[in-house]
Amino acid sequence: MLLFRGRYTKLVGLILVATMMMSFVVGCGGGSESGSDKVETIKIGNILPLSGSAAPLGKIGQQARDMAVEEINAAGGIKSMGGAKIEMIYADSKGDPATGVSEAERLITHEQVALITGCYQSGVAMPSTEVAERYGVPYFVPVPSEDQITERGFKYVFRLAEKTSWRNRDQVKFIKEMSEKFGTPVKTVALIYENTSWGQGAVRAWEKYIPEAGLEIVLKEPYPSNSSDLTPVVLKCKNLNPDIIMLVSYVSDAALLTNTFAEHQVKPIAFIGTSGGFADPQYFELTGDNCEYYFDISTWEPDVNRPFSAETNKKFTEKYGYAMNAEAVKAYVAMYIIADALERAGSTDPEALRKAFAETKITEGPTQMYASEIVFDETGQMVNAPLVICQMRKVDGKMQRVTVWPEEEARPGFEVVWPYPGVGQ
Amino acid sequence: MDIVQKKKIGLIVIILAIALSIPLFVTKPYYIHVITMCLLWAYLASSWNLFCGFAGQLSLGHGIFTAVGAYVTIMLFNDFNISPWIGMFAGGAAAVLLSTLIGYPTFKLRGAYYALATVAIGSGVMVLIENTMTLGPFHVGGAEGLIVRLMGNAPAYLQFMSKVPYYYLALAMLVIVVVFSYWLKNSRLGFYLSALKEDEDAAAALGINVRNAKLVAAAYSAFFTAIGGVFYAMLIRYLEPMAIAGPMMSNEMVFLAVVGGSGTVFGPVVGGITLHAISEVIQFYFSDMAQGLHLFIYGLIVVFVIMFKPQGIIDILQKYYNRFLGISDRGEDESSVS
Repeated sequence: MLLFRGRYTKLVGLILVATMMMSFVVGCGGGSESGSDKVETIKIGNILPLSGSAAPLGKIGQQARDMAVEEINAAGGIKSMGGAKIEMIYADSKGDPATGVSEAERLITHEQVALITGCYQSGVAMPSTEVAERYGVPYFVPVPSEDQITERGFKYVFRLAEKTSWRNRDQVKFIKEMSEKFGTPVKTVALIYENTSWGQGAVRAWEKYIPEAGLEIVLKEPYPSNSSDLTPVVLKCKNLNPDIIMLVSYVSDAALLTNTFAEHQVKPIAFIGTSGGFADPQYFELTGDNCEYYFDISTWEPDVNRPFSAETNKKFTEKYGYAMNAEAVKAYVAMYIIADALERAGSTDPEALRKAFAETKITEGPTQMYASEIVFDETGQMVNAPLVICQMRKVDGKMQRVTVWPEEEARPGFEVVWPYPGVGQ
Repeated sequence: MDIVQKKKIGLIVIILAIALSIPLFVTKPYYIHVITMCLLWAYLASSWNLFCGFAGQLSLGHGIFTAVGAYVTIMLFNDFNISPWIGMFAGGAAAVLLSTLIGYPTFKLRGAYYALATVAIGSGVMVLIENTMTLGPFHVGGAEGLIVRLMGNAPAYLQFMSKVPYYYLALAMLVIVVVFSYWLKNSRLGFYLSALKEDEDAAAALGINVRNAKLVAAAYSAFFTAIGGVFYAMLIRYLEPMAIAGPMMSNEMVFLAVVGGSGTVFGPVVGGITLHAISEVIQFYFSDMAQGLHLFIYGLIVVFVIMFKPQGIIDILQKYYNRFLGISDRGEDESSVS
C-alpha cells in the first residue's frame, strides 16, 4: 500500500473523481439521443430478474421471449404496421421492487417502449405495474400470480397467468372429483406450507375453498423454507392422520418433507403439491422413488395433450439445451398475444393498444399450447387460465411428471393412482 | 468576514442553486427518479451516520427503522386515512421507541457483539412483519407486502403524479439531515460521541454518561431513518418486508456511509450520491450485456475506493476543498466543511 501513497494518491483520487463526475453527467445527459426511433421497429420493454437469486428463472424467460420474437419477426413482423419488427429491451429488476420501479420509469420515459411485459416476481409486478398505469402505458403480466395484481382497478394491466388462489381452488376441485370417482370419502385436510408470501397466500385461498367443499382443515403448519430438519412437522401430521396433505414448498424443503414422510410411513389418501419446489427438476434427484404417486398442480407440463406443445418444447430444447417450464411457456405465449394485440391495434398508441388487449380473443395458433382460448375480463385478468394436475410416476424406470387431470389433457394410457398406495408399492 | 468564510458561503450557495435548478434542465422523469433515489440514499446513509458514524457503532439492522417508519405511516393512512404528512411523525416516534427499547440491552455490548445483535434484531423484525397479516385494526399484509392506497395527485396525502415534488422533498430532507449532522457534531453530545468512539472507558471515566449519550444519538438516528422509510414508501408505493426491512436495506446504508466516509458530516452524502449514481449508470449501460456484469463492475469500483481511500471518498474531496479555500491540508479537520 505504501507504494500508492504520495503522488499516486493524488492521481488515483483525480481519476476517481473524474470517473464519478463523468458517469453522472453522461447518465443525466444521455436522454437526448433517443429520439431517433425507426418506424419499422416496435420497442417492448421487459423487466426480469437477470441477477440475484432468481436469475436462472429470469434467463429462461428471456430465452423463451427471444425465441417467440424471432419467430414473429421471421414470419413478417406486425403486418398492419408495414411489417414492423419487434425489438425487446430487457431490464434487470434484481428481484427488488424499488429497482423494478426505476427500470419501469426508464423503459417508459427514456426508451419510450410501446408496452412493458414481465416480470417474474409478484413483488416487482405490484409496484412496477403502478408506474405503467400512471403513464397510461399497457403492461402485460405473463407470470406473476399474486391475486391483487388485477384487483386494483387498473386499466392498462393485463395478466396471462392464473391467480394464485385459482391453483388452490382447482386442487380442491381435483380432490372432490377423485374422491367421487374412486369412491374414497375424504374429510380432513392438513396444510403444510413455507411461511413467506407464497405459503401465506395459498393458505388464505385454501381456507376459503376447502370448507366450501365440505372438508375440514385439521392442521395448518407453517415452517421456514430453509429448515434443515422437518421431522416435527411430519410427526405432527402423522398423529392427526389427515386424508389429504397439501404442500407449498421450495425445492430443498419439498424434498426434505417428501423423504421424511417416506421415512415415517405417513400414508394419507393423497399428497398434493403446489408447483414451485415440486416442479423443480432437482426434486426428482433429491427424492428418488420417495415422491412416487405425489400430485402437483401447474399450468403446463411437457407431456400435456395440447396443440403446439410438443413441437415448441422440442424446438426450445434443441436451441437452449434444456426443456421449457410453465413460466417459459407463459413468456413465450405472451409474445404471441402481444403481437396479436399490436396487429389489431395497428399502432403503438397506448389507448389503441389497451383497447386491442381488452378485445383479445385468440382461439388458434401457438397460444394453444397454453390455453384453447385467450380472453381477458374487464379487470384485465385472463379468463379460465388453464391448470393441470400431474402425478409423479415411474416410466421406464425413471421418475416423470405424468399429466392426469383434466382428463382431456391427460397423457394417453395413464390412469390416476388413487388413493396413495405408500412408498415403493 | 474573511475570505475563507466568503468562499465557504459562496460554495454552499452554488451547490444549492444547482440542486434547486436540476428539475429545470433535467426533464425526463426517469432521470429525476434516479437523482431522487441518489438523494434518498444519501439521506439514509447520513441518518445512519448520526449515531453509528459519530459514535463508531456498527449497526447492521437499521432497516428496521425504515420499516417501522414506513409501516406505521402507511397503516395509519390505509386504515384510518391519516395523511402521511402527519403519520410520518407517528412512524418516527415508533422508531424512536423501538431504538430505545433495543438500546437498553444492547448498548452494553461492544464491537462485533453489538453488530451481531443488530443483525439478529434486524432479521427478527423482518420475520415478524412477514408473519403478521393483521395487527388489531391494521392490515399489515405479511410477506405479501403492503400496498399504499393510491389517491392520484394528492399533495395533502404526499402523493404526486409528477416526480419533481419528490425530488424537492428528498433534497429538503437531505439538507435538514446535513444541517442537523453539523449541529450534532459540534454540540456537547457530538463531543461525547467522538470521545466514546475513541475509548468508551476513558469517556466514562471523564464523567460522560455513555449509555445516555448513545441512547439519545440512536433516537435521533432512528427518527431520521424512519422518515426516509416513509419517503421510500410514498415513492415506491408498495412495501415488501424483504426490501424495506431486509439486509439489503440495512447493509446499503452502512456501505454508502463507510465508503463515503463515516463519522464525517458530508461523507455519507458524497458516498450515497456518487455510489448510487455509479450503480445506476452501470446498470443503464451494462445490464443488457451479460447477466450480472453491472454488479461486478460496481463491486470492482467499490473495492478500489476502499483499497486506496479507506477513509472514504470524502478524504479526496477534502483536499481539493482545502486548496479551494486556500488553507493547508493539515490545518483543518473535516468539520470545517460548510
